[in-house]
Amino acid sequence: MFTRTDDKITTTQTVVIISCFMLGSGVLTLPRTLTERVKTVDGWISLILGGLIIMLAGICIVKLCQKFPGKTMFQFLKEIVGSWIGSCMCLLMVMYFVCLSAFEIRVMAEVTMLYLLEGTPMWAIVMSFMWIGLYLITGGINSIARLFEIILPITIVVLLICLLLSSRLFDIDNLRPVLGEGIFPVIRGLKSTLLVFIGFEIMIILPAFMQYPKKGVKALIIGTSIPLVLYLITFIMVVGAMTVDGVVRSTWPTLDLIRSFEITGLLFERFEFFLLVIWIMQIFSTYTICFYAASLGLAQLSKKNIRPIMYGLLPFIFIVALLPKNMNELFDFGDFIGTVTIYLFGLFPVLLLLITTIFRIGAVKEDE
Amino acid sequence: MWQSIISYIPNWIIFTQALVILIVPIIIYLTSKWLQSALGSRTSEGTPTANESEENIFENAKTKAEDTMPFTGNYETDLASIKKRIAKNCDVHFREFTMATGEMVAIIYVEGLYDKELIEVQVMKSLMFDDVEEMEKSSKDSKITKSYLTNKMLPISEIREALNLEEVVSDILVGSTAMLIDGIVEVLLLGSATGKTRSIEEPLSEGLLRGPRIGFTEILCDNTAILRRHGKNESLELIKFQVGTRAKKDLVVAYMNDIVNSELLEEVKRRIESINMDYLPESGYVEQLIEDDSLSPFQQAQNTERPDRVINSLLEGRVAILLDGSPFALIVPVTFSMLLQSPEDYYERWIPGTLLRMLRFLATFFALLAPALYIAFISYHPGLIPTKLVMSIIDARQGVPFPSLIEALIMETSIEILREAGVRLPKPIGPAMGIVGGLIIGDAAVNAGLVSPFLVIVVAVTAISSFAIPTYSAGITLRLLRFLAMFCAAILGAYGTVLFFLLLCSHLVKLKSFGVPYVSPMAPYRLDDWKDFIFRLPFKVMKRRPLIMKTKDSDRKK
Repeated sequence: MFTRTDDKITTTQTVVIISCFMLGSGVLTLPRTLTERVKTVDGWISLILGGLIIMLAGICIVKLCQKFPGKTMFQFLKEIVGSWIGSCMCLLMVMYFVCLSAFEIRVMAEVTMLYLLEGTPMWAIVMSFMWIGLYLITGGINSIARLFEIILPITIVVLLICLLLSSRLFDIDNLRPVLGEGIFPVIRGLKSTLLVFIGFEIMIILPAFMQYPKKGVKALIIGTSIPLVLYLITFIMVVGAMTVDGVVRSTWPTLDLIRSFEITGLLFERFEFFLLVIWIMQIFSTYTICFYAASLGLAQLSKKNIRPIMYGLLPFIFIVALLPKNMNELFDFGDFIGTVTIYLFGLFPVLLLLITTIFRIGAVKEDE
Repeated sequence: MWQSIISYIPNWIIFTQALVILIVPIIIYLTSKWLQSALGSRTSEGTPTANESEENIFENAKTKAEDTMPFTGNYETDLASIKKRIAKNCDVHFREFTMATGEMVAIIYVEGLYDKELIEVQVMKSLMFDDVEEMEKSSKDSKITKSYLTNKMLPISEIREALNLEEVVSDILVGSTAMLIDGIVEVLLLGSATGKTRSIEEPLSEGLLRGPRIGFTEILCDNTAILRRHGKNESLELIKFQVGTRAKKDLVVAYMNDIVNSELLEEVKRRIESINMDYLPESGYVEQLIEDDSLSPFQQAQNTERPDRVINSLLEGRVAILLDGSPFALIVPVTFSMLLQSPEDYYERWIPGTLLRMLRFLATFFALLAPALYIAFISYHPGLIPTKLVMSIIDARQGVPFPSLIEALIMETSIEILREAGVRLPKPIGPAMGIVGGLIIGDAAVNAGLVSPFLVIVVAVTAISSFAIPTYSAGITLRLLRFLAMFCAAILGAYGTVLFFLLLCSHLVKLKSFGVPYVSPMAPYRLDDWKDFIFRLPFKVMKRRPLIMKTKDSDRKK
């Protein structure tokens, strides 16, 4: 086939989608949320552990999806738990994606208003952002994947350069002692690390679009590793430069770190602008994929055309995005979403996997 | 509990905004859908041409019947019927004479188009004088036949036969010479048009320092000959189509039959066959009639005057379209990176080639975003540029009475006008106007306090950058988008610029040219194709044809 009429994505594209989804709001807040819980410098260990746990949860979802080739979870959930519960759960997932995309938009708007556009009304920031997202997702999963492929390399390069430039502030002593207070702080931090890895749940729809669904696990592992490494570097650099106390005191520690130094002699002396640019792009990617997942879920649930649903979801996402009254509520909202993720996409798929294995639902096709 | 829930219910302003956020895209969608249908989307289905409306058919029915009626073989009646059709044209001439054997012959030609020497020396001379004895011997009792004529008497390579009026008339008018002979049913068409033509010159629109100095001309057969001359290669195939419903023109599709993907070829053929237009003066018409998305600012076929570029593309598995009367060949499918490539990249060694490529990507970035970034930084984020620079810019801008958007618009618009005027101006005046426009107006504008000197630098760099792009039409696209970027930056600052970039990317990833993603090989990643993308690696490394073309033969070496 020269002209592809089917909407399939390659394994690399799957990797890129997962990575871009994960690299969302977390980059800016992660060092603080993690350190707040851990209270020692051992957050990076929790980060690695959290990443591994997320991989496991993701693998469960992929395995589950592989039993129903060519179908998204929105489609096969009914076959496992029955029509009623299945529809309810799907609706819950759709709501989850709506909330997540709304959350990302709101965080973006808050940061933009704080650092880039003081005094601009929030609706102006949010609306233009959402419309461009809508324009993108009407092109389907393939266009989304291609856009992510453009912005992921830019993100990685710029992020690494920014962090590298801050290395003059880095002091390894700030990261010592390792495991000074034992293993418990690390485990305490696990929950907040899970939140930054939100994004693996996109695997409930991606295997259906993959050209080679068999490579789903591989794609997931690589897709999770890229953000894991980036998060690790970010965390180590930020905590190493700002110390635990400094990190806890600032709202957006990564931005503050980049703001805190000036390099003379270059064209630019301050680099937070570049960080903000790539970060807006990353938020855009997270928002669009969530938006797409929500519309796809509703479309497959109601068996209707996806386009009107995309348009119809816009006002809902907008209203949800404007619900939190201040920063604290926004972060509570984010925590709440994270908790839901653990249950909805961490434990629930494991349950489903058990059910399908025991009752041999869906597996029949694979045996033949 | 209840109170706290109520406190979260948004007020009516937010609901109004939510309504706006829903309605605006719907309006845009409906408008674009209406536009698409008005423009007639080409990609959806192959709509074979339903050429004539019913009235036309009715009117033409009578002449049609006459046209398709075969000739009688009677000299007088046939000549009369041809005369009736075209004799009123002042440039059509009828020359009647008697052959050496006694038959009446009429030669019909169009002045200025027919091959004078061929007709006078090879045809008339041989028919009037030569071989009379021999001919009389062989055809003593029988009349002269067509095969005898073509075999023995007319030493011409190009002879065709026409059986009815329609064929004869259309061929005469494009430059063939018709020969009507008493007693022969068929009318012979000799030679083809040899009108005055331009000689092969170096292409004007794509200059190169190194590389072949030939460009296409307006004559299709010359152009195909240039392509043939690229080397001994049986796999180059040239298929001819006729396009245009009223004035028919030849169009040639060129490709390498053992490289090109057959589905791509079929698609190109299908789109060309579905062209429904009365006349196509330039290949730009073809380009716009076969493109995927007419609403996109980006071109979806590359036009070039350079044969070497066409051959390179054919070897990559692309398809070229040449139209008679146009020196611009079209190459499809096209990707964004192709527009930034020049044949010179390959002729120079790979290190300078790579550097040139990178320079062009940088130039694209400037051409697109430099004024937008200027506006964003000056109006919204002066804190992000180094303090000393800010001081000097602000110092220079002290007397400027306008906001930076107006300032930039004034300068950008005047430089666009200058450019447009420069294209139209006669050659001797062009450079002079450039100096007057660029230097004097720029300097005067700064002195008058209309714009800041810093902006003049930005605008100048932007303008020059947009000319560094090898494809002229791509430069136009970028210049057009630059204005959009400036408005985005003026409304939302740097955030607006990022949004503009995202919007542009969103559009580009959705755009396809003949089924090939426009941003390929950037996305989807095809690492093998990256050897010839931003970098131009040594030929020893570039062993394969572009993956994206899905060629039949992917290996460049055998």
